[in-house]
Parts: sequence; structure tokens; C-alpha cells
Amino acid sequence: MHRDSGAGPPDEYLEAEIHRLLTEDPAVAEQGISVTRTERALVLHGEVESAHRREEILRRVAERFPDVPVTSDIGVIRTQAPTEIEQLP
Amino acid sequence: MVIRIAAVGDVHLDEDVLGRFRPALEELPGSVDALLLAGDLTRHGTEAEARCVAREFGGLGVPVIAVLGNHDHHCDQVPQVIGTLEEAGITVLEGAGVVLDCPGGRLGVAGVKGFGGGFAGRSASDFGEPEMKAFVRTTTESADRLGEALRSLDCDVLVALTHYSPVPDTLAGEPLEIYPFLGCYQLGQAVDSAPTALALHGHAHHGSERGTTPGGVRVRNVAHPVIKQAYSVFHLGDHLDQGEVSEVTAGGIQQPWS
Ligand SMILES: [Fe+2]
Ligand SMILES: [Fe+2]
Repeated sequence: MHRDSGAGPPDEYLEAEIHRLLTEDPAVAEQGISVTRTERALVLHGEVESAHRREEILRRVAERFPDVPVTSDIGVIRTQAPTEIEQLP
Repeated sequence: MVIRIAAVGDVHLDEDVLGRFRPALEELPGSVDALLLAGDLTRHGTEAEARCVAREFGGLGVPVIAVLGNHDHHCDQVPQVIGTLEEAGITVLEGAGVVLDCPGGRLGVAGVKGFGGGFAGRSASDFGEPEMKAFVRTTTESADRLGEALRSLDCDVLVALTHYSPVPDTLAGEPLEIYPFLGCYQLGQAVDSAPTALALHGHAHHGSERGTTPGGVRVRNVAHPVIKQAYSVFHLGDHLDQGEVSEVTAGGIQQPWS
């Protein structure tokens, strides 16, 4: 396993590894989370079905990559009834 | 006369989600004729997760018709997943169709999970290694089953239900590089091979809502992260005249195939 342990920005392989972890780790199993690299950290974007899943994602990533600064912008998808109907004549 | 459909995909249910959709779902009886589920109903495709789907989407008082998604295949428990859903009264389509007698006419729904493969001019070919050929054959066989099911239905309004996308339009927002994993043009061809009124799909969580097949059929991506509400509602069939719907009788599944 390749890991960038220096102080610089995390490398692309790490990005790929986290991306795969998000799908392949049974505790996460999300295909809809994207990983983007900024100068300071890796940012996780996307939407999940519960607050529990959002916490679990951050916990698993921190556990597996303790040296990598990760911030998240993950939302929990709303489940209200629609207010509009689409008419398709 | 109008046929009213609610639809959502990619609800990825497990115990932590139980009850989140139910309040909105309770509003369905009386306001729609059917609820369509566009696959990825579970997180890992286990029987236990399917029981969560059965609890959340079962016993609603409206017919529920589903296709499975790739997540529902993950644990290789597809027969148990389908069994659990059908026990709860949810119709699961895979290369099959169903016709519902609704107050506004006969609604035909044909469904298949579908598969990736890519879109015209940028798609995988049935050529080379056995793994590649197996991949593309999965694509074409799935699309063929959808086409056959669509053409077999005798109804007033025909809807195609898949998990993978039949067009690239509704993938806008996803990285171009992964389009071949999100859908294939062959599903679009199948949709266009029948007088389809609407094609519904999920799978592309970062995609967009609206698209059209080359044949002019409207396509909607109803993945939950895309629609950001419990379900979307579509009213179809305003073009039907009274004569066309005069023979309609009330309620219930008329003609299941499988
Ligand atoms: Fe999904
Ligand atoms: Fe999916």
C-alpha cells in the first residue's frame, strides 16, 4: 500500500485508495461520494441516506488514514413529499 | 384522463434509514396509481436489508413495482431479496412487464436492471478478451430483455423502468470517465423500439433529472440524491381521449408476466 506520509498534499494514489474504500468497505458501501484534493486536505462530497452513515464514513477514513487531513461536506438527503408534480402530456 | 406515477431509486435501505420515507409514502394512496422503484433498494443486497425495504415500501395501499440495482446484487442473495420483496407485495421486474388497470387507463411497466457499456461512439465492444465480451454481452442481453418486455405489453401508457441509464443526458454532473459504468445506449434503443411514454432510471447519484432518447422518449433520473425528495410524481397520458379509456375497469394488477 502506498501512502504519502510527508507534510505535502496527499497524492493521487491515496485519493484513489480512499475512493475505493468508500465503495468497497462494507461499513460504507457508497458509490456516490467524491474525493477532491485541495491544498490543505482531501474533501469528501456527496449525499447519504442517514447521519449515521456520514459519521461512519469519516470514522472509517480517519481509522485507515490517520495522517491524512480530511474534511467533509456530506449531506443527508431530504425525504419530504414533493410539492410539485411534473406533467408529461 | 391521467395516469399518475410516483418514482424513486437508490434509497439504499438498511436499518438506519427505516421510517425516514414512510411519512411521505403514506400520502401516496389516492394521489398516485403506482410507485416505481428504480433499483439500489438496499445497501449490500442482503435479505435483512430487503426486509427493511419490505417494511418501508410494503403495505402502502398502492401497487409498488421495482427493479433491482447493482447494490442489490452485491451479496449474491438476489433470490432471497426478490422473495422478501414479493412477500411484501412488491412486484420485481427483470426482463418482464406488468399492466395495471388505473382509473386513467392501463399503465404498462417493463423493467430490467440494465448494465453499463457506454454511449454511442464511445462504448465497449463485443471483442477481445472473454471478460470484455462477457461484459458487453451482459449489456446487450439486458437491453434485449427490456425491448422484448416493452413490446409485449398491451396498454395505454408504457413506462420503461431500469437502474442503469438509457441516455447520457441524465448523467450530466457525473465525471465523463465513468459514463460507461452508468448506462448504455442499447437500453435507449430498447426504449425506442416500443411506444414508450417515459423511461425512469436511477444509479447516477451525481447526475441530473431530465433527458430524452434519440427517438424522443422522455427520460427521468429518479435517484434519491438527484431528486432530493422522497419520490417524484409524474402525470402522464393527457393525450388520451375518452374513447381510448372507456373500457377501463377499476383497480389492481391485471396481467403479470415473468
Ligand atoms: Fe445507487
Ligand atoms: Fe447503482
